[in-house]
Amino acid sequence: MVRNILSRLLQAVCVLLGVALLIFIMLRIVPGNPIATLMGEHADRAVIERMTAELGLDQPILRQFIRYLADALRGDFGTSYSLGKPVAALMGAAFGNTLKLAVLAALFAWILGITSGVIAAVRKNGLLDHLFMGASLLGVSMPVFMVAMLLQYVFAYHLHWLPIAGVSSWKGFILPAVALGWNSAGSVARLVRSTLLEILEEDYIDTARAKGRGQLGVLVLHALRNAMLPVITMMAVQFSSLLSGAVITESVFSINGIGRLAVQGISGRDIPLLQGTVLFSTLVVILGNFLADCLYSVLDPRVRKEG
Amino acid sequence: MLQVNHLCTSFFTDKGEVRAVDDVSLEVPAGKIVGIVGESGCGKSMTARSVMGLVRAPGKIKSGEILLDGRDIVRLSEHERCAIRGSEISMIFQEPMTSLNPVVRVGHQVEEALLLHEHVKKQEAEARAVEIFEAVGIPDAKKRLRSYPHQLSGGLRQRVLIAMAMICRPKLLIADEPTTALDVTVEAQILRLMKKLCGSGTSILLISHNLGVIAQVCDYVYVMYAGRIVEQADTFTLFDNPCHPYTKGLLDSVSSLRSGAQVLDTIPGVVPNLLHLPAGCSFSMRCGCCMEKCADLLPELHETEPGHRVRCHLFDKEEPA
Ligand SMILES: Nc1ncnc2c1ncn2[C@@H]1O[C@H](COP(=O)(O)OP(=O)(O)OP(=O)(O)O)[C@@H](O)[C@H]1O
Ligand SMILES: [Mg+2]
Repeated sequence: MVRNILSRLLQAVCVLLGVALLIFIMLRIVPGNPIATLMGEHADRAVIERMTAELGLDQPILRQFIRYLADALRGDFGTSYSLGKPVAALMGAAFGNTLKLAVLAALFAWILGITSGVIAAVRKNGLLDHLFMGASLLGVSMPVFMVAMLLQYVFAYHLHWLPIAGVSSWKGFILPAVALGWNSAGSVARLVRSTLLEILEEDYIDTARAKGRGQLGVLVLHALRNAMLPVITMMAVQFSSLLSGAVITESVFSINGIGRLAVQGISGRDIPLLQGTVLFSTLVVILGNFLADCLYSVLDPRVRKEG
Repeated sequence: MLQVNHLCTSFFTDKGEVRAVDDVSLEVPAGKIVGIVGESGCGKSMTARSVMGLVRAPGKIKSGEILLDGRDIVRLSEHERCAIRGSEISMIFQEPMTSLNPVVRVGHQVEEALLLHEHVKKQEAEARAVEIFEAVGIPDAKKRLRSYPHQLSGGLRQRVLIAMAMICRPKLLIADEPTTALDVTVEAQILRLMKKLCGSGTSILLISHNLGVIAQVCDYVYVMYAGRIVEQADTFTLFDNPCHPYTKGLLDSVSSLRSGAQVLDTIPGVVPNLLHLPAGCSFSMRCGCCMEKCADLLPELHETEPGHRVRCHLFDKEEPA
């Protein structure tokens, strides 16, 4: 078990390094000098060259990369060109909002997704089943920006219940969380339903019923526990993608989060900022997958290695 | 004890009604082992499931009554049935490999019925589980309680299932092919266990396609074919004087196995599709003594001697004119 985890961890580190190098190279081979973009059209050539040298952008890529890694290990991700502040500090400030948004969105998605999935499975082919599955189809097929704007229109513009953008109070998080979680709710509901239906056909469900367990007992104690295995894996992966930056949602609702920093990094050709945010997202996704694996092996004794 | 009268269980499929159990009447007296024997697909398991009230959709009990100590359990509410299942009647399912919940320790699964019906303390349940594990011959009982199903062999899993079904000391145990997955030595142990259990007051309905198993333990036997009972008699009579051509065929295929014949004596033909049964005797297409009326007229279950009934036109009593 411990050995298993260690080897996974090692894999994760390798993937992270690989991705970091890839981003590093890609950001440097795109045509156009970022310093020139930064200084504007009328900047002096000499000044541009001096700045480029100062930032180390004229050095070989591998050397730049190693220096970047060494700095990153000390928590220094460079200074944003466009915002003039250390990237680490910018991301630290943005992370709080992204985390709150992701947690709320995940809670919304999972509570809604699991309950409606279970109800749909139990009432297979009933009215509620069709209703929930129709809604979840909308959920998985509607793009986030559309959901976001619909919500804004109905709940903020029309009904004035919630703020249209910004997170000055907790209320500001509700609409973005719903918009962001909508998709995930749909896919969780579908997965829960299909897995549960499959599991309710299993022989051990009959065994449990033959013991005298009622419907609810069988569902909760025997079926759900098995059905949750793939669902939990999906949820862990979902959470990491929610957390790795909701670019669109944060932009539509003007929330200062990681996603918006990434947008800033792209539009400003702000290499350190973009590098930092992409690296962060990679880390979160890798951690999410790692966590999913660990959870799975805790929940499923067949995967867990005894002793 | 258990009395089943005119039970009909059908599957309502897109292609039509499949009569998996058709007008089956049987009786399991207290303290006896009663067998049901028949080829694969003849409706043995569906009969058992009907008694348990565990027929899955699109299957449904169409008619008939199932009396447990005189009480018709078909008409009970689901809640009342749950109280009976596991405590008064319990069942061992056919598939030991898939009948245990893979993510729950077997000890817990065995104790579950006890905790559910007798509301005993966890500790007492565990003690009882150890006791029953030892009774069914699971070595290292205490340690085994903490195992997960995938850590056990097929034989051990089957014993866990048997232990699970017996832990509440039910009045009636339905065992659906309890030994099919096991090798002969284990089979013998399990059968001995069943006899012992029966001696302590549990009636058993034993389902098997293996006549050898039936011969070893049963007091009375029902032979099923295509959803119907075709012959019933006490074990000795059935083996000594089989009447129905199907029963004879079954016995011949066993004895040819015993005598080590080179060519296995099998019943020619295949089990008919339950969707397209002939109007008359369902065995008529494969029967060596098929007469003209057999295909069109369903024979009654005639009593040829006390306690011995046969569903075959060969035994029609001449109607006095
Ligand atoms: N879901 C279903 N839909 C339609 N027909 C079914 C369904 N399940 C079972 N049947 C029918 O019920 C009949 C009886 O099945 P059953 O499981 O009782 O057979 P069995 O005697 O236990 O056979 P085996 O020895 O293989 O266990 C089968 O022939 C099959 O055609
Ligand atoms: Mg069967």
